[in-house]
Amino acid sequence: MRKISVTGPKSQLETVIDNLHDLGVMHLENYEGELETGEPFEKGEKLSELLVDVRSLLSKLPEPETETKETISIQELQEQLPVLSEKIDDITEKLEAINSREKSLREELKYFRKLEGLDLDYEDLHGSKNLEVWIGRIDEKQLSNELETSRFEIIQGKRNQVVIYEKGNEEIKDGLRQLSKQNIEVRNTERSGQPQQIIQEIKNEIGNLKGEKTDLKKRLKEISEREYGKLEHIEDYLTTEIEKVEAPLKFATTKRAFIAEGWIPKDRFDDVENRLTNVTNNKIHIQEEEGENPPVKQQNNKIVEPFESLTNLMSVPRYGEIDPSFLIFLTFPLMFGFMIGDAGYGFTSALVFYAGMKMFPEGAAIFKSLLWCSAATIFFGLLYGDVFGFIIFGPDNALTALTGIAFFESIPVIYHRVDYLGQVFVMAAIIGVAHVNFALLIGAYNEYIKHGVMAAILEKGSWMVLQLAAVSWYFYGAELGGALVALSLIMIYKGEGIEGLVEIPSLISNILSYLRLFGVSVAAISLAQTVNAIASPAFASGTLLGIVAGTLILILGHTFNTFIKIMEGFLQGIRLHYVEMFNWFYEGGGTKYNPFGKSKQY
Amino acid sequence: MPEPAQAIGAAIAIGITALATAWAQAKIGSASVGALAEDDSIFGKVLILTVIPETIIIFGLVVALVAVGFI
Repeated sequence: MRKISVTGPKSQLETVIDNLHDLGVMHLENYEGELETGEPFEKGEKLSELLVDVRSLLSKLPEPETETKETISIQELQEQLPVLSEKIDDITEKLEAINSREKSLREELKYFRKLEGLDLDYEDLHGSKNLEVWIGRIDEKQLSNELETSRFEIIQGKRNQVVIYEKGNEEIKDGLRQLSKQNIEVRNTERSGQPQQIIQEIKNEIGNLKGEKTDLKKRLKEISEREYGKLEHIEDYLTTEIEKVEAPLKFATTKRAFIAEGWIPKDRFDDVENRLTNVTNNKIHIQEEEGENPPVKQQNNKIVEPFESLTNLMSVPRYGEIDPSFLIFLTFPLMFGFMIGDAGYGFTSALVFYAGMKMFPEGAAIFKSLLWCSAATIFFGLLYGDVFGFIIFGPDNALTALTGIAFFESIPVIYHRVDYLGQVFVMAAIIGVAHVNFALLIGAYNEYIKHGVMAAILEKGSWMVLQLAAVSWYFYGAELGGALVALSLIMIYKGEGIEGLVEIPSLISNILSYLRLFGVSVAAISLAQTVNAIASPAFASGTLLGIVAGTLILILGHTFNTFIKIMEGFLQGIRLHYVEMFNWFYEGGGTKYNPFGKSKQY
Repeated sequence: MPEPAQAIGAAIAIGITALATAWAQAKIGSASVGALAEDDSIFGKVLILTVIPETIIIFGLVVALVAVGFI
């Protein structure tokens, strides 16, 4: 990367911006200094307004089935926009009105359903001069028993009853109040006739509304088929135009001149210089500048590329620093697989990640990298002979018991980790030592590039000597061990000062932290076996109900486990990289190379 | 089988470190969510801060395993 500045008269500003945008290689840097920053071009405001209008229309239209490649110019758009938006607004407003009308009708329908089956006109429910009407649910027998008088009549409906009695009869009123299970108020409505008829009436009205709705939606769809592609195209166009219009905000300007600063890849310098001087007839001046912290463009092959997003989740690498994406690719899926280690969960987690990739396009890269974790999980699962906590290979395996195929018995289980938890524990520690030292080596390389051999040995090599010292103390006694410890302490002090000495416990805690690989392994096995243990009595019962219940428990349990394990495997695996590994070499804090005009499509 | 005293020791080691981790993570976690609401580009850093206390319970696990004679 090279930092350059482009200086020229303001008359050339627009030409320069257009051409820089077209080239799409310059990462513009915000100007910070004594001069004023530029102002966006005047047409910006109009374009922004237009963009807002276009986006609002796009949000109202359904996505079309066929894609049109038709394009439209801004002028045409400005002419057509008022008519088009009026048309669309008209339809959407009508749709809204219909929706709210439908909602109130449904509410009304719900009310009249309560009165279904009553052989009465609705108007009568309001009562009359001499009669009072009570609607609700009540036990008829109980009411008759409770009341001494029989001066009332009960009319049965499908869900509720109506009790008609003499106005002012307190005894009946009290009885109803005490025995009522549900009381329904009479509403004021314009509808009349028997509840049955009213219900039918409302249903018809809803049916009509639905017809209108489909008509309107169809019209909207037609508009969308015609206009959506054009609008989308112009949205993209406007977005890039506005990007250009606002570019001067990053420039320094005086009354008559401007200065733009930014970074371009080394090999494109001549390109940029030639083009800009040509189009401006040599009226501008391009000059190389000195700058710090250039933007970073990560370069990885197709396989490692998705892992960049995992690196950037933590921090974008600095310029010239080793991009740890490759290291994450190398060890993260393996750790994930080592911990979860179950072919069944490998498969289900792959399904989850694949679904995630399709559902969240913006996070697709992360899910793509996680698919590698699923692959590693399947690999380790086959190595351990585990599928959903069942052993599938070797003598007495679950797969042969289920299918009756003896072939599976002939495949040996290579390493059934449940039987060797002690070894898994040691392995976790060894992985920790290896991973941390690997990180130290990379750190040493980074130091070597930046500050030379001595810095590399003192700052990173010293930590390896310290580990060596601990080992030799254990095997060869205090004399050699002590000497090496002293040497390493001096080296650390020389390399990193007193801070380094304070950091020493963190080396131990970092390595111990890898024991979580063991911890999560145990948890992963136990969780799977717990689900199977809960389900097994149901299967053992041998009844159809038992088998159904057992299957349900297995499906629910293992689905739940899949998500728990994804979370555990991801969080624990990635933190071992972020915290324990990056600690020893990674600085981060870079800026992503985001050249001006990169997003252009037209 | 470990002795009862060993088992109790292991339980105390795991139990207290688990509580300690939970307490620390709860505090960091709530602060992290607050910070994320301001600026969600710091997700990675916040994640690291949140998971740092997990090491406490790993130590608890190690002590428990030593107590029951696993190591």
